[in-house]
Amino acid sequence: MEVLVTSPWVPREWIRAHGLEPRGAWFAQLDPSGALPEGVCAFAGAMARLHQAQPHAGIVFTTACDQMRRAADATASSGGKHAFLFSLPATWQTSAARKLYHAEVARLGKYLESLGGHTPGEEELMREIRRSEAQRAHRRRILEAGSSSDRGVPLALVGGPLLPSQWSLFDAVEAAGGRVVLNATEPGERSVLPPLPPMAPGQEAVIALADHYFDHAVDVFHRPNTRLYAWLGERLQARGARGILLWAHLACDLWRVEAASLREAFDLPVLVLEAHRVGTGGLRDRQRLGAFIESRR
Amino acid sequence: MRETPRQICLEEWDQRQATLARQGGGEPSYGGPLGRHVEREGNGRLRQLRFDNSTAALRLWNFLLTENQRLRAARAQGERLVGAMKDLGTVPVMAYALPRVRAFYPDGAWWTPCLMECTDRLLNQAEALGADATTCPVRAMLAAFQNGEHFPRPDLLVCSAGAICDDFSAIAQRLERLGSAVLWWEMPRRREPETGEASCALPGGLRAPADQVECVRDELRRVAIALGRLVATELTAERLRDGIQSANAVRRELQALRETVYAAAGAPLPALEMLIAEMLAVHFCSDRDESRVVLGGLVQEATRRVAARQSVVDETGIRVYWVNPVADLRAMNLLETCGGQLCGSDFMFTHALDLIPEDLPPLEALARTALADPMVGPVQDRARRIVQECRRYRVEAVVVSRIPGASHCAWEGAYLREHLAAELGVPAVEIEVPPVCDALLPALRTRLQAVLEIAQSRRRA
Ligand code: SF4
Ligand code: SF4
Repeated sequence: MEVLVTSPWVPREWIRAHGLEPRGAWFAQLDPSGALPEGVCAFAGAMARLHQAQPHAGIVFTTACDQMRRAADATASSGGKHAFLFSLPATWQTSAARKLYHAEVARLGKYLESLGGHTPGEEELMREIRRSEAQRAHRRRILEAGSSSDRGVPLALVGGPLLPSQWSLFDAVEAAGGRVVLNATEPGERSVLPPLPPMAPGQEAVIALADHYFDHAVDVFHRPNTRLYAWLGERLQARGARGILLWAHLACDLWRVEAASLREAFDLPVLVLEAHRVGTGGLRDRQRLGAFIESRR
Repeated sequence: MRETPRQICLEEWDQRQATLARQGGGEPSYGGPLGRHVEREGNGRLRQLRFDNSTAALRLWNFLLTENQRLRAARAQGERLVGAMKDLGTVPVMAYALPRVRAFYPDGAWWTPCLMECTDRLLNQAEALGADATTCPVRAMLAAFQNGEHFPRPDLLVCSAGAICDDFSAIAQRLERLGSAVLWWEMPRRREPETGEASCALPGGLRAPADQVECVRDELRRVAIALGRLVATELTAERLRDGIQSANAVRRELQALRETVYAAAGAPLPALEMLIAEMLAVHFCSDRDESRVVLGGLVQEATRRVAARQSVVDETGIRVYWVNPVADLRAMNLLETCGGQLCGSDFMFTHALDLIPEDLPPLEALARTALADPMVGPVQDRARRIVQECRRYRVEAVVVSRIPGASHCAWEGAYLREHLAAELGVPAVEIEVPPVCDALLPALRTRLQAVLEIAQSRRRA
């Protein structure tokens, strides 16, 4: 059974170890039609409709933002049977937050069992952890190798979910004379965890896995969201980014309000690109992008 | 001499206040003509409002509009100021349990653009600071922090994080980036306990998993330590217990007020004063003991009016339940001019109306109360409570008021309107009220009148 996951911070390994198939909701069949009420984030809105398109799949929402929380409410009230709301703590510096995250991983396990999954043994989970580690290592190698071309103004793309239907953005950037040297959207590079450190003797695999996700999630919703800035800071400098494209869904307060802070923190210009709809993903104003890139040459 | 209950304008209130003063009306130290708040603080919106004509209401308004002065006076006397953000009702209970500490909600700047009819330019300044009109009017707080003109900078800033609206979360984070350190504490999204899971009863008839209560309790312990450090005094269980009792005394007054007003055949107090009164339970308007006195005065007035079969609005007015606070206070007056009367409300902080359990360890009691916040749980829980209240107060129509830019309204509004209408069999309408709604008044009036007319025709049928 497929389990659609709406956030990078829910351990995929745990789902697979239960015998179910995790799938990033970014890659799911999303319904681009249908009007969304004013003020609803297009991504969260699409997630709220996922259960209609895929009634037999499990869906894991998270509490990362109010919009997503309420998408989970909407799913429940419109009869979505297989939805689970994972409580992602916003704070990350306290034992209470860590405990909460651990408890949610355990609760997720019970939910997966309710979908027909089985309780994984230690070895089974370790196998899935190793598999994910290998996949991530492969992704990291590709990312580190970077683009073979060094043409175009180096730019960082930072922000929320970027869906396959919106990947034309990369072409638009190139056509305007730019080059994305850092993709810090979801599920881009920001969603790739670092290697799992060796486990302490006797440590349970699920605890090590939960700690790893908890310690390395890099996102805008954290309070304070200093980890995001530290993560970006290192990479912006290393990759020589000359500007930031902030990819923000129209009603996404969490990313939009960061524009000014990003500008100040990195002393780089920021262009806010608005993702209007899940399906179209076109840029509202290619001229703005062109002018921005031109100004960074 | 007591006057027949009615709503009067600012000018009339000032004349009446002068007469009362000449007769030795015995106003509190913060009393005086309401008009001075227009002249001194620029609260021009008061000129457009209609106020209840009781001395209890005069006291309420003067109490509300002098909060800033109270805070500055407290600071001058060496008291420490705590800016509580977002939790609406929990941190102030803790802060007031300590000597020489006052808490207030910088969130209250929400209403400054309304009161000052945007002459404060806070919303424009907030936009320049990075929070544009796609966020709710609470963005005014960001600018108010920067310019320091609307409230003193707190010595400690505490904000709940997690299950809060995106608007506030984003704005508070921006505030921190601009240099105001914030103590964040986790508020998990409340969920139904699962079968067999240990759980706890919360105020308001809710339940939450014991793990969530424990998490919030641990977080509040961190807050308690920080508060204690401010005045080098430990916030002991004993002090907290006293603080809870005092907060409950305020809440009891408010409960009595709501019961007296909302259950009455004809509302003895207007909607606008009820909105302001309910807010006192959240923040005490920076003086916990006085807030109790102010509420007590309103209870007495309402009780007296009910006994005398007097109401401030047409007794035949449609009984309306109001969901969410309005960014422009004038919208509350509109309800009565359209032929409605307020008979129930959920201004987003119903958890601050419930008594905090006194038979539990105090931090546990506060954690349970905080978790009962209607905005922290699923909208279905919020709707359930509203339905109960609507039935209790024989409500005939529901108004769901949207807050411009608010992340939750986009999702909740339609659900609440449809669900409440279906469940209660009464008409419901959704309106959006901006900080100054003058330009929209005709449209708002039409929408309100339409829903009240439907209710009227159902009454006749
Ligand atoms: S894009 Fe923003 S509002 Fe939408 S789901 Fe993500 S964080 Fe929430
Ligand atoms: S009005 Fe709504 S969106 Fe604005 S701060 Fe309050 S809860 Fe958040």
